Amino acid sequence: MVPVEHILYLAALLLTAGLAIVIVKRNAIMVLLGIELMLNASNLNLIAFNRLQADKIDGQMFSLFVIVVAVCEAAVGLAIVLRVYKMYQTSVPDEVSELKD
Amino acid sequence: MNDQLLYTPFFENCLALVVTLPWLSGVVGFVLPENRSSSARVLAVGLMGLSVAAAFFIFIACWNNAPYTHQWNWFSIASHQFSVGVYLDNLSAMMVLVVTLISFLVHVYSIGYMASDDQQGRYFAMLGFFTFSMLGIVLADNLLLIFIFWELVGFCSYALIGHWFEKEAAAAAAKKAFLFNRIGDLGFLVGLLLLWANTSTFDIDQLRNLKEVFSWQTAASLCIFCGVIGKSAQFPLLTWLPDAMEGPTPVSALIHAATMVAAGVFLLARVDFLFTDQTLDVVIVTGAITALLAALAALVQNDLKKILAYSTISQLGLMVTAFGSHASEVAVLHLFTHAFFKACLFLSAGLIIHAMHEAHHEASVHNDVQDIRNLGGLRKRLPFTFVACVVSGAALAGIPFTSGFLSKDAILTSVTLWKGDDFSWRWLVLMSTFIVSFITVLYTFRLIWFVFMGKEKNTAAMSVHEPPFIMRLPVALLGVCSTWLIIAWNSLDYAGWLFNSFHTGENSHLTWMPFFSGGWVLLALATAYFLFRKGNPYQSALLLNNFYLDRAYQTIVGKPVLYLTRITTYLDRTVIDGAIHLAAYGQVALAHGLQWIDRFVLDGVVNGAASAARGVGSLTRSLQGGKIQVYILSAVMAILMFILWTLI
Repeated sequence: MVPVEHILYLAALLLTAGLAIVIVKRNAIMVLLGIELMLNASNLNLIAFNRLQADKIDGQMFSLFVIVVAVCEAAVGLAIVLRVYKMYQTSVPDEVSELKD
Repeated sequence: MNDQLLYTPFFENCLALVVTLPWLSGVVGFVLPENRSSSARVLAVGLMGLSVAAAFFIFIACWNNAPYTHQWNWFSIASHQFSVGVYLDNLSAMMVLVVTLISFLVHVYSIGYMASDDQQGRYFAMLGFFTFSMLGIVLADNLLLIFIFWELVGFCSYALIGHWFEKEAAAAAAKKAFLFNRIGDLGFLVGLLLLWANTSTFDIDQLRNLKEVFSWQTAASLCIFCGVIGKSAQFPLLTWLPDAMEGPTPVSALIHAATMVAAGVFLLARVDFLFTDQTLDVVIVTGAITALLAALAALVQNDLKKILAYSTISQLGLMVTAFGSHASEVAVLHLFTHAFFKACLFLSAGLIIHAMHEAHHEASVHNDVQDIRNLGGLRKRLPFTFVACVVSGAALAGIPFTSGFLSKDAILTSVTLWKGDDFSWRWLVLMSTFIVSFITVLYTFRLIWFVFMGKEKNTAAMSVHEPPFIMRLPVALLGVCSTWLIIAWNSLDYAGWLFNSFHTGENSHLTWMPFFSGGWVLLALATAYFLFRKGNPYQSALLLNNFYLDRAYQTIVGKPVLYLTRITTYLDRTVIDGAIHLAAYGQVALAHGLQWIDRFVLDGVVNGAASAARGVGSLTRSLQGGKIQVYILSAVMAILMFILWTLI
């Protein structure tokens, strides 16, 4: 059986990768992707820690819930990206700027 | 004599006129433009003539009467009332007449003498002021007023001696006369202050009536005598008078006869009651020294006018000697006779100079016309001047039948009576007085002999003629006044109308004195003839330079003062200027320091605050540049730091 630590390492890797994507990628869609990765890293954490109490499935339940919320979030995020694209002809958040120096 | 004439309106009008007319003449001379100077001088002579007439009336009215006094309030300080007033006794009545008469004659004479001068307005104006100031001294009834006019006389003489101020010697002589007088006047002023401090009055009548000797009286009278030393050119302040010969000759006549130097002797006679026995001893010694020194100096002078100047100093010395022998009336007598014959001598000298100038001018020769060595044999060319000179010179020398003989007799008598029966230093004074009268004959003879006798020198080829009548008339009048008739009917007794009016007490006439002094003078005349008939045998640099008194003053006073000024200049330059410069440099350096502080500290703080604000601003701005991912990054960083902080 895979030890919990390995799962936690994987989750940390995922979270770091997602965070890196969120920070580094220019495109808003890629940022949303990174967010999905980080949510899944948290799901992994939830499932891994659920193994510490074998008689309960709170972790799984909560991760399901996170998946649902993530879907909603993605939908809302994509909708915003669409609206932004429609307005500014770009989906790069750095270019969506009306503040001037 | 005529008591009913006093205190009448006519008399008081005359009194006002006699003083204001010379003043008016002075004002007119200044006010009229220079191209109207001919009318100015006619007006001046007319005004002075009126003044003489008024003075004559005053003299007749006052003579041998109780003194006329009149006082007005002047001002008051606290409870002290100061008054101005007129005090007319025999002395001032006589002086008023002498001053106005001689001034009038000098005015008349000046018309001819100054005819070609281009500053006649100023000249006649100053003559007028001069006469006015002297009349002020004569008539004033308190010493403060006398002092004021005394200073005015000094100023007027300064202006007149320096009339030809474009000549350097004249300007220097005027300054010298003024400064020497200032030295004497300082003493006079101190004397006045001492008087005031001890008696609280300047009024001559009140001072006269003081019953006892007040404290400091000797000091006060000595100080007043200082003023006389300056004004009457006594030793040691006598060197200004020979230098004053740089002025026009009529001015010299006026200064020497009636106004300037006479003021000193007049003041002595006016305040004779103030002088204590000790002071009188000082006075008589000063007078004797002055008379002797000046007579010796006169013996070798070559300048016509300088001989006369030294003779004046010598005669003034005799007057002061007479005063010192408790006989102020004798001093006044000699002042009176001296005024006439010395004015006559000076005006005659002016005639010679004038005639010589014209002759030189016609012949286009330039020579020192005042040097008696260049003159000679003029008796045929200028017969009138010759006679005038002989008469007035005889009076100066004290030849019998002249006024000078009588007044000199009076002096010799008073000194003889004063010396006492036992031998003492007083006998030396008597001897020196006799010697002076002997030398007087010598230098007078020398003067007349060199100018009028012998052969003509470089004037032989020129046409010399007598000056105009208007210049000869005053000389003739003064010459007549040089005879014995002016003071007494008896040509052997000086106690005539004038002397008896001043003299109180028993008559101290010595019957042998006229014969003795007559013989003495004739002996001197013979000696003079023997000495000088061949020419100028004796010369002495010591006497020619008046015992090097000027050089002594230069060494004793001049050089130390110059040295002192140099020291003070040096101190001024180095210490005071140095300190000022140091302060200035210090201030500049401080300013530079302050500027540095201002620029780098104060501005630095302000600029630093500004740039710090700007730095903080740009830092915070850079955090919210609108880049979402940067926000996220910083949020993550913050969280990481927070986690690290909590863990460690």
